[in-house]
Amino acid sequence: MEEDEIAGYVTAYLKKKGFTQTEKIFQEEFQTNKTNSSPLEPDIAKHILSFSQLESGPARFHDGYSRLRSWTHCSLDLYKHELLRVLYPVFIHCFMDLVAKGHVQEARHFFNTFREDHEMMHLRDLQKLEGVLSPTHLEEMEFAHSLRQSKFNIKICEYSYELLLQHLHSTQSTTILGIINEHINFQVTPGQPSSIVDDPEAVTLSGSSQDAANQINQKEIHWGLLEDSLEERLEKASSLLSDSEKGEGEAKEGETEENKKRPVEGGKQGASIKKVKKDKGGSATGKNTKAEVNTVSAAPRVKPELPMPIIPTEVEQSILEDLRNRVQLSSVALPSVSFYTFLNTHNGLSCSSISHDGSLVAGGFSDSSLKVWDMAKLGEQTASSLSQDENDTSQNPQMGQSGGGKRQYTLFQGHSGPVYAASFSPVGEFILSSSADSTIRLWSTTYNANLVCYKGHNYPVWDVQFSPVGHYFASSSHDRTARIWSMERIQPLRIMAGHLSDVDCVQWHANCNYIATGSSDKTVRLWDVQSGECVRVFVGHRSMILSLAMSPDGRYMASGDEDGTIMMWDLSSGRCLTPLIGHTSCVWSLAFSCEGSVLASGSADCSVKLWDVNTSTKVSRAEEKSGNASRLRSLKTLPTKSTPVYALRFSRRNLLFAAGALAKNG
Amino acid sequence: MSTVPKETIEVIAQSIGITNLSPDVAFALAPDLEYRIREIMQESIKCMRHSKRTILTADDVDSALALRNLEPIYGFTSNDPLRFKRAAGHKDLFYIDDKDVEFKDLIEAPLPKAPLDTSITSHWLAIEGVQPAIPENAPVEAPTEIRKSSEYKEDGIPVDIKLPVKHVITKELQLYFDKITELVLNKPASIPFRRALISLATDMGLHPLVPYFSRFVADEVAQNLHNLTLLFALMRLVRSILQNPHIHIELYLHQLMPPIITCVVAKRIGNRLSDNHWELRNFSVNLVASICKRFGNVYHNLQPRVTKTFLHAFLDPTKALPQHYGAIKGIAALGSRLVRLFILPNLEPYLLLLEPEMQPEKQRNETKRQEAWQVYGALLCAVGQCMHERAKIFSNLLSPSTRASSRPNGKAMIAMSSKRKASTENLMQQQQPPLKKLATDGPGGVVPMNSMSVDMQMQGSAGAFSTMMGVPNVGVSSMARQISNDNTMGREVGGQQSKVSSILAQAWKDDIDAGQLLSSVYELFGESLLSFIPKAEAGVFL
Repeated sequence: MEEDEIAGYVTAYLKKKGFTQTEKIFQEEFQTNKTNSSPLEPDIAKHILSFSQLESGPARFHDGYSRLRSWTHCSLDLYKHELLRVLYPVFIHCFMDLVAKGHVQEARHFFNTFREDHEMMHLRDLQKLEGVLSPTHLEEMEFAHSLRQSKFNIKICEYSYELLLQHLHSTQSTTILGIINEHINFQVTPGQPSSIVDDPEAVTLSGSSQDAANQINQKEIHWGLLEDSLEERLEKASSLLSDSEKGEGEAKEGETEENKKRPVEGGKQGASIKKVKKDKGGSATGKNTKAEVNTVSAAPRVKPELPMPIIPTEVEQSILEDLRNRVQLSSVALPSVSFYTFLNTHNGLSCSSISHDGSLVAGGFSDSSLKVWDMAKLGEQTASSLSQDENDTSQNPQMGQSGGGKRQYTLFQGHSGPVYAASFSPVGEFILSSSADSTIRLWSTTYNANLVCYKGHNYPVWDVQFSPVGHYFASSSHDRTARIWSMERIQPLRIMAGHLSDVDCVQWHANCNYIATGSSDKTVRLWDVQSGECVRVFVGHRSMILSLAMSPDGRYMASGDEDGTIMMWDLSSGRCLTPLIGHTSCVWSLAFSCEGSVLASGSADCSVKLWDVNTSTKVSRAEEKSGNASRLRSLKTLPTKSTPVYALRFSRRNLLFAAGALAKNG
Repeated sequence: MSTVPKETIEVIAQSIGITNLSPDVAFALAPDLEYRIREIMQESIKCMRHSKRTILTADDVDSALALRNLEPIYGFTSNDPLRFKRAAGHKDLFYIDDKDVEFKDLIEAPLPKAPLDTSITSHWLAIEGVQPAIPENAPVEAPTEIRKSSEYKEDGIPVDIKLPVKHVITKELQLYFDKITELVLNKPASIPFRRALISLATDMGLHPLVPYFSRFVADEVAQNLHNLTLLFALMRLVRSILQNPHIHIELYLHQLMPPIITCVVAKRIGNRLSDNHWELRNFSVNLVASICKRFGNVYHNLQPRVTKTFLHAFLDPTKALPQHYGAIKGIAALGSRLVRLFILPNLEPYLLLLEPEMQPEKQRNETKRQEAWQVYGALLCAVGQCMHERAKIFSNLLSPSTRASSRPNGKAMIAMSSKRKASTENLMQQQQPPLKKLATDGPGGVVPMNSMSVDMQMQGSAGAFSTMMGVPNVGVSSMARQISNDNTMGREVGGQQSKVSSILAQAWKDDIDAGQLLSSVYELFGESLLSFIPKAEAGVFL
């Protein structure tokens, strides 16, 4: 019996593996040596048999996965949610294995059979993977590539782990076992399974980058405020009235000194964080210590790593005046919101920005134009509009034909692609705009003219932001980099590379030493401006990140994504404090109030929401130990009349400005 | 395997001039095509997001193609999202309606209006966290679709509605008013009109327009009695204004009521015979009823005046039947008490008048006859409702009683009880007492039974009748005969009894007829009437 059968297995095996030559020879030899056959050992025969069965094509993935799936769903409730986490990585790797082996038909079938299971959690990933239909696509596609190369980290308790292994061994699912061994990295924790609450860290999607992220997040970070800030000076002024003028005088001196040093110090100053730390310890002058004693906010002070620009005295005076008149906001004292509605945009408005005092509003349009409205003039413009506008046009050749002198805005033309972002300098005399033509342009609002065109990015520049002190700005682009620029150089000062996909938004830290970038790879990164290194990776969002905001005390960061989720991060620990759930569509804009007690968010669902920051951060930290993720308290929802909210800005007096384009078709 | 079938590849190949594409190539290209499309879509979505939109436009796809150094697809550029149409007969096949445009037409067409330039308006979204109730803000707790206010509709006039000053109507409100009246007059069935109605019913700051609107309604109703659609649109306008919680309509009721009542009891509404003016009358009656209900306690003479108007119309035999119909409906809508006071006493003489109109032998005019039937239906409805109300009132006061029937009809009862027994058991209990009350009123309590003699016939024809109510056809005549037989029988019985009882008997009989005939239309009503036969009595028959 045996020999024929064995021969059958062997031929089957050879056929399967495509060894046609060998098969032929084997057949021949088998025919000739039929008589004096060497008896194969029965267990070897069995092995070969099982091997050839195992290799029985793509069906084994399907079978193996469906068996694992049904087993998981029947498992004990206590451990079920942990075991369910295993399914997703197994699923996508089964699929990719099938594709890689060229069983495209089966891969598609497999994918469609089981995709529903994961749609809720991983819809976007699935949509990306769905299109992968040939081995070359796997190679080509960034996302698939990174999945193949990295491992999934799954937190799982000891018992669940044992259960899983037992099941896999007892059912002989070597295929699945192989996938699990190859692609999943179990973090087995002793004791009880983790609570059922959806912990974003339980399954990390970014694979190996998670390790890197963890490592990166160990780095030290100085989230404190800049020493000698205007706010600080104001506090000083109010507390020590007699000393105030002297203090300000000193401050100005210090600045001018710094300014003189700037050209020399360009690369030298603050070369490392440690040095800054030393600086801080060493250079704590009497003035600074005085300030620290008197400050209300407990935020630590740090030295700027960049040479700071000087602020003109009159501007400084007006800022100080604003600070004195600031309204204190809290959960019981909500801000007033002034809303600027863009009319007749014909779906062309792609961004808008509001100056720090709310008097200027800029709109970037898909027809490459940038338009700036002076809201203060707009109010009084009814009668004296004609002369006003004629003056404007005579000053500005770029404004083109003014349509009968009735135009209410200043038109800036120069870009050759949709304008995706605009940013006012702190004082409001400059505007930066970034465009799909991969350039950034600097405009002057006093001369109504283009001053500089910054070229450096290779692809559309999605976002540009002035630093809180002006002079420096950061940009982010489709070319997966973020760049730091200064106004006076046409080359970037730093290039931050590391994101795996487009860098969609950028935001400066309050102390100007860091920038945060949000990306389509669903992570937010924090970069050291001086060294250009990535110092934090924040993982947790489920879709592309659209907006970022830094709290004024420099300790927290909020990020909003495409699904309407807002996450509040603690910069020092790199952990998510709490997800803020409430918006139903893209969060276009986020803004902290000036003392950091209220967070405002503007969304495509036509509403502005106000969130209580203080309770959220405190409560969540209190509840951190109990393991219960608290939800941030939503203070108020302000619906607009079919107007998605594009931009938000708290003025220095804590008046909230919002802007949006009226959507005709809703 | 790929969602792109290889036939698509072949078609594309043919369109660029490759006719001999081998199936293998098509087979290999299909998955790649799908992958490329997904890739482009992913990029387009990025562009869409950065343009701060949630609807993908052709521009986004073009920018995505540009990102990949590909040539954009020409001919689809538009700032508005493309409008896809569903291919008839296919569930998920869509296409863009791409009409051929005559070059000549294009050249000769007058230049389109220049698009309005972008502008900015500012308003307070919130003051210290509280949203002020100004037109720029979304109405509080309004459903989302209402946010698309009609003020900004159409050609996107930069509307900036200021809070009104006394007796000064702003330019914007004027525009709004013009827009709405234009919609009423010209496009009463269009979607913008429906949106306008929603806006009228919810928007704040419309109060200064109310006198203008009431004036407008009064004028238009007076001038356009022949135009049914316009009248209907006007009534809907009135209803929306009434619904608006921010408008104090009381001050203008004196101006609004006459046109509404005109729509109820006008002699002739609409031009053609086919115009369904009954519906308009019903609609207006509901408006009157709701106004009386809402403001009746504030204006004490409101309801009496309305009632007087209706009663005049009802009692005047020279008035046309539609007027009677409106009047009866109107009285009925104002409450069953009024029905009892004004309709029941006049029921018998009125039916005497009405009867010849309903019979084909006596009334040759088909239209007139149909009108008579409508009036008859309204009457049944009113009386039945009144009875039903009373039944409810008295159900707790009186105990059930047993009485012998003078004219039992076992056959009918069996059919009846077997059909209705289970469902109406408890209803019967409830309905019993009025009958008792009836018995105390006079000896006519037995009357309901006589109509049961024709029960079987009626049941057979009931279904047919209900279908005929709307569309008159030959069947009506045969029906009418049956009814008239029934009526005469009823009167025979009534004649043997005292006057009061005969009136009530008539009412009862009508009710039961109605219960049978209109069972499909007034389900609840019919059932409650059917169960008017006391259970005890049923027991006797059985």
